[in-house]
Amino acid sequence: MDMRTYSTDEIHILEISGRFDANTVQPVATWLEQTTSTPGARVLINLTDTTFVDSTALATLVQALKRCQQMQGDLYLCGMRHPVHKIFELTRLDKSFNIFSDKDCALQAFVK
Amino acid sequence: MLVALLSSQYTRFAALAEAWLSLGATAFGIYQDGRPLVYWPASHRLMRPSLMAPILRGDEELGEIRVTGVKGEAFQQRLRADAALIAYLLQLEEELQLMTADLVISQDQQLALYRLTQSMRDLVTVEEILRAVLAEAIHMLKAQGGFAAFEPLAPDTPLLIQQPDGVLPHAFTWELYRQCSTSERLIICDEASSETAAMGVRSLLHVPIRIRGRVMASLGLVNRSGGFDAPGIKLACALADQAGIQVERTLLYQEMFQQTRMRAEMELARRVQLDLLPRTLPRIAGLEIYAESRPARQVGGDFYDFIVEVERPFIFAVGDVTGKGMSAALLMTMTRTAIHSKSQFMPFPTPESVMRQSNEDLYNDFTRVGVFATAFVGQYAVGSQRLVYANAGHAPVIYRPVGGEAVLLGAESTALGILPDAHFRNQSLRLAPGDVLVVATDGFSDMCGADDTTFGIERLLDLVNRLHHLAPETLAMVLFEEVDRFGQGREQDDDQTIVVIKGAAM
Repeated sequence: MDMRTYSTDEIHILEISGRFDANTVQPVATWLEQTTSTPGARVLINLTDTTFVDSTALATLVQALKRCQQMQGDLYLCGMRHPVHKIFELTRLDKSFNIFSDKDCALQAFVK
Repeated sequence: MLVALLSSQYTRFAALAEAWLSLGATAFGIYQDGRPLVYWPASHRLMRPSLMAPILRGDEELGEIRVTGVKGEAFQQRLRADAALIAYLLQLEEELQLMTADLVISQDQQLALYRLTQSMRDLVTVEEILRAVLAEAIHMLKAQGGFAAFEPLAPDTPLLIQQPDGVLPHAFTWELYRQCSTSERLIICDEASSETAAMGVRSLLHVPIRIRGRVMASLGLVNRSGGFDAPGIKLACALADQAGIQVERTLLYQEMFQQTRMRAEMELARRVQLDLLPRTLPRIAGLEIYAESRPARQVGGDFYDFIVEVERPFIFAVGDVTGKGMSAALLMTMTRTAIHSKSQFMPFPTPESVMRQSNEDLYNDFTRVGVFATAFVGQYAVGSQRLVYANAGHAPVIYRPVGGEAVLLGAESTALGILPDAHFRNQSLRLAPGDVLVVATDGFSDMCGADDTTFGIERLLDLVNRLHHLAPETLAMVLFEEVDRFGQGREQDDDQTIVVIKGAAM
């Protein structure tokens, strides 16, 4: 798993490539904890190159979403491949997260 | 020096005097700065010597030999030769004394190093070791102060020790460390720059400490009288090497300790997990049931449970708490207890109400620790041939009706602990003779094979289609075997739990 972080228009963007699971979750969890603890933080997680997520990874995303919402922020997901989206569907997490087809759509949603 | 030589070699000088006296001299003496140091015979002070020869070290006159009663060039030449011999003896004596002094210092240092090595055996932290080495280095090199820096692997915090406190600004010491770790060379500074002079530094020696093949620490010494010479640098390097070995030993010990503790924790987690699972399979009229859970080495939070109460519908649950290890085992216990107690003690439990109440119990705690639990709860009234169920984010759940194709049953709500008021709904399916329900955990579908591919849900669906005619236990065994085969001997990453329920004749 590789992660890349950057900011654009005060939106913190995290790109995760490869397997996002219990063995690789720690740096993502650390970054999300720092980023989503700021009041009103706007965070976008781009999963375009993510090949797999397990339940530990999902828990990390859920925890970040809850923290972000408590701090009046927004956390969006985008660019899921079919197998990853299937996991979100099966666990009904697609109903909890705002999921966009790609990064541009998600960035536009932040503007609205 | 001349006096010391005369004292230690008195009999040889006396023999030399005797030789001169036997040649016809009336007196023989050694003088320094015009004053007699020794003379023969004792009554003659050689105030008017007939011959004199200086004892020279280079251009410096260390003393002179005087004789009386003889004259001539031959005697003068002999006297000069004796003076040169005494000068050479003096030089040898001086070198011997220096070598002896060096040897004593070297022995002292070896002894100090030995004492340091011995004392460090009792030290169990890196900080204690660096503190001891720094104190000894300051003492042995007679420096005014010093520091030791250690940069462990993340997430541990870097360590800086100063003796005395504040001997140098922290930022400056870390800058020195960066230079040292990049170049892997020592830094010597015997002349103060304007920057170091402002900090009161006249001389500085900074030595890298190699740990596990790379620079992870350093030792700095400040202000040694006369600067840092070659033996001092050599000694500091020896101390740094010693510190590196001891720190490596300590890190290894700490890692072994940590691993042992983790193994003990995992074993406890495994025992907690297995002890809480039902010890026997329930016998329910109209159903054939098999269940099994195989914990991974790094135990997860899987469980299954059966609630069989007289004159109440049979309830079963399968769940998976996110996370690994002891924390997952504890949270699994909480989840299982919540579902079990609701199923057992609610007046008219249904899967929906059991899930809703359990979620209310668990939501706050789960949110605080950042986990959730997927769960499937099923309820079967004997003779009904129908299963009522609620699925809180759990997958994979596969249903294969008689004469139909295996389908994946999606969840109708999110997992426990995600939303404070999740919309759980009772669903129902037929469970007549031949209908098969397989409730597994993601340890099956997520099992990793070659090239990091996962076993996936499609393979499970295909297997259930092909194996639906088997008894639940056999079907479960084949699924375990297939997943193991797919893993090609890889270690199981997550728990694998399965409950197979098949409709049967009453």
